[in-house]
Amino acid sequence: MTALPPAAHLAALMSLDGMWPRRARLVLARRSPEAAWEALLDGALARSVPLLRALRGRGPELVQGWAEQARALDVPRLWQRHLQLGIGVTEPRAHPAALREDPAPPTVLFHRGGFDHLDGARVAIVGTRKCTRYGRDVAFDLGAQLAEAGVGVVSGLALGIDAEAHRGALAGTPTAPPIAVVGSGLDVVYPRANDVLWQQVAERGLLLSEAPLGAAPEGWRFPARNRLIAALADVVVVVESHVRGGSMSTVDEALRRDRPVLAVPGSVRSDASAGTNALLAQGAGPVTGVDDVLAVLGCTPGPRRPVADDRLAPDEMGATVLDAVGWQPSTLDQVVLRTAFDVGAVALAVERLIEAGWLVRTGGWLERVPAHR
Amino acid sequence: MLAITASATIAGVDGRPVSVEVHVAGGLPAFTVVGLPDTSCREARDRVRAALLSSELGWPEEKVTVNLAPSGLPKVGSGLDLAIAVALMVALDRVPRDSVTNLGFLAELGLDGALRPVRGALPMVAAMDRPEVVVAPGNHAEAQLVERVQSRPVSSLRQLAEVLRGEAAWPPVPPPRPVATPPPVPDLADVRGQPVARQALEVAAAGGHHLLMVGPPGAGKTMLAKRLPGLLPPLDPGDALTVTRVWSAAGLALAGGLIRVPPFRAPHHQISSVAMIGGGSAAMCPGEVSLANGGVLFLDELGEFPPAALEALRQPLEEGTVRVSRVHGSQTYPARFVLVAAMNPCPCGESGAPGGCRCSDSARARYHRRLSAPLLDRFDLRVVVERPGAADLLSAPVGEGSAAVAQRVAGARSRARARSGGLNVDLRPEELNRVAPLTPGSRFLLERAVTDGRLSGRGLHRVRTVARTMADLDGAQAVSDEHLAAALAHRVDPLGIGVRP
Ligand SMILES: [Zn+2]
Repeated sequence: MTALPPAAHLAALMSLDGMWPRRARLVLARRSPEAAWEALLDGALARSVPLLRALRGRGPELVQGWAEQARALDVPRLWQRHLQLGIGVTEPRAHPAALREDPAPPTVLFHRGGFDHLDGARVAIVGTRKCTRYGRDVAFDLGAQLAEAGVGVVSGLALGIDAEAHRGALAGTPTAPPIAVVGSGLDVVYPRANDVLWQQVAERGLLLSEAPLGAAPEGWRFPARNRLIAALADVVVVVESHVRGGSMSTVDEALRRDRPVLAVPGSVRSDASAGTNALLAQGAGPVTGVDDVLAVLGCTPGPRRPVADDRLAPDEMGATVLDAVGWQPSTLDQVVLRTAFDVGAVALAVERLIEAGWLVRTGGWLERVPAHR
Repeated sequence: MLAITASATIAGVDGRPVSVEVHVAGGLPAFTVVGLPDTSCREARDRVRAALLSSELGWPEEKVTVNLAPSGLPKVGSGLDLAIAVALMVALDRVPRDSVTNLGFLAELGLDGALRPVRGALPMVAAMDRPEVVVAPGNHAEAQLVERVQSRPVSSLRQLAEVLRGEAAWPPVPPPRPVATPPPVPDLADVRGQPVARQALEVAAAGGHHLLMVGPPGAGKTMLAKRLPGLLPPLDPGDALTVTRVWSAAGLALAGGLIRVPPFRAPHHQISSVAMIGGGSAAMCPGEVSLANGGVLFLDELGEFPPAALEALRQPLEEGTVRVSRVHGSQTYPARFVLVAAMNPCPCGESGAPGGCRCSDSARARYHRRLSAPLLDRFDLRVVVERPGAADLLSAPVGEGSAAVAQRVAGARSRARARSGGLNVDLRPEELNRVAPLTPGSRFLLERAVTDGRLSGRGLHRVRTVARTMADLDGAQAVSDEHLAAALAHRVDPLGIGVRP
């Protein structure tokens, strides 16, 4: 046991049931991880009056439960698993500066990838899981252009905007690493659909969590995750959010830390832009392109490569239909009414536009695709 | 003293002749009914006794045995009351024995001796092998639908006794009650905008394709569905009689006699599977699937129906009939209908548009899991129905009325019948290359839909049958790329839950 590093005992402590970050902070107060572990095993912790008092009424019960689990735990084996997965475990004094100085600093961090990935400028791109095609496209573009400009993209690896931002940040020729903060254990990929993306972020950047291995993505972990995203970012960009969407908690955390919050304007008809449009009305800076973000960071925008659009130009009918779809999700009904062609003619034009990459179909809805892909 | 009269009972939607044999003999006063009577049939004793006494026709203080033959057939309801009372009158010599030989009797008796209508009169009268049948006036409209039988509406037992004794003529047929004309089917012209849903209704009517509409509350799904019967052709005489028999057996009001307008049934989602497919007591009432026979079965809030009730739809959808088994045997009912279902895209009831939903992923998944893949697969037409926006509505032309659409539907149906002898919904995959050959362009569209995972192999056949119906509605010989693209557009994945097998 003597050969084990302090991180092994940290990992062991954090793996105990109910060892939430706040409680871990109490347990680790004025104790090294090894000392805390020993105190748990030999009963010293169970006699610590300040700790029991700080844990409130459940103190004795909790500490006794931890002690029982601790005695049954194979610490070397648990540590071995962290090593195999390439996961580091750090205590507060080894945390990156942005988090060390934070008003609500994390207690223990689990991470894949080094903290040196946090050396450059960082922008958080966040938004709703239930996004529109427009939100997806903007998130992807911003992710790609920021990463190419050398700005690290921070996000939460959720479905929708989060995932698109990181997909963009990994596409093309990025000169900055992707950074993700997740709400589950680093061996619990959630949502499953982001499996590949999760691995790519871990390989090419930094993946962070406050949750121990095996921790499920419980609801309470996500607001805490959002605060870390806000803490790590120099600027927070909200691409699409409903009025009471989860991204709004990231915004609150950013404002608490005096981080600039920018929002992407959307259609006044789109629920998914209701929250972002409200942010703009409250004074958030608008993002009409990556230059708006770079300007807030104090970077000078570099020359932009013109977007090559190699799609087959639509014929006259196709152009009319494309125009009728507009830049918000539309049903076939709406397109038929706006063009006054019959259903069959519009349906055939739509099929051809999808084939040529001008439109995508989501469920029964049509959305327009911009030039970049 | 033995007397025999003819009557009938009902099993499912079919009448069965019953011979009522009454035996009156000395002994302690008693009244026994044998031959599988149900409760209401056993209670005939009390009604018959009160009716005879209040009509001053007497009651034997002797041992009375009533045998209902054939003995193995369950007898249900109160329709045998009259036949029992008349047989007793014969046995007691209150009326001449030969006055009843050519007559059948079918009515419940009131305690005052009045004849009351019974449910299922049409099939029961049809089952009796007598040239004349005595019924309550309220059953006359149904009884006279059986052409070979002379219906004799009589209002009381006393009146009937007078006729049988030759003291009076048959009472005149009551003037037909002011027929409660069925409420007119609402017209499609009331629907503004929504060209895709309108076309889906038209295609459903023309090809017999089942239709699923997905959209938020207030999008007009129910309004659309209610207009489908007006697009269907009126029932032909054979179908009309079948539908009327089923409705008669279910005891539904048949004021207007023969039902010619395709029925529209919209059971609530709290329906039991028995009420859905039929059955229940020994009477085995027809269920909603049979009441909708020849017309439309509309299931609003499809996701709220209990899984058992939806599962019960499988056989009717596959075979056009439903077989119901109970202790006393099993019955097959007709159950061929166009299924129209409506549902919200998700529990929050917001728009189904990308970005429009507020549900948690798990709530959405739970909601979508309620629809089994085999059921979803039955819908050839799956369309999104949104609340039309004001701007789009204002520019929408006034839609065609039901009459014009119904005419096109009739044309398409006769073209389909001439080609394959039935509706396009029944086209088999192996017929498709003959009746709906693909153009190279259509082939390309389908191949891409399959590669993209939008269509399964079965879905591909179904899209082709819908395209065939679209072409029939256009009066076109060949299925064009536009027909096929329209058919594809009417089979979207409206819940965004990915392709089902
Ligand atoms: Zn929803």
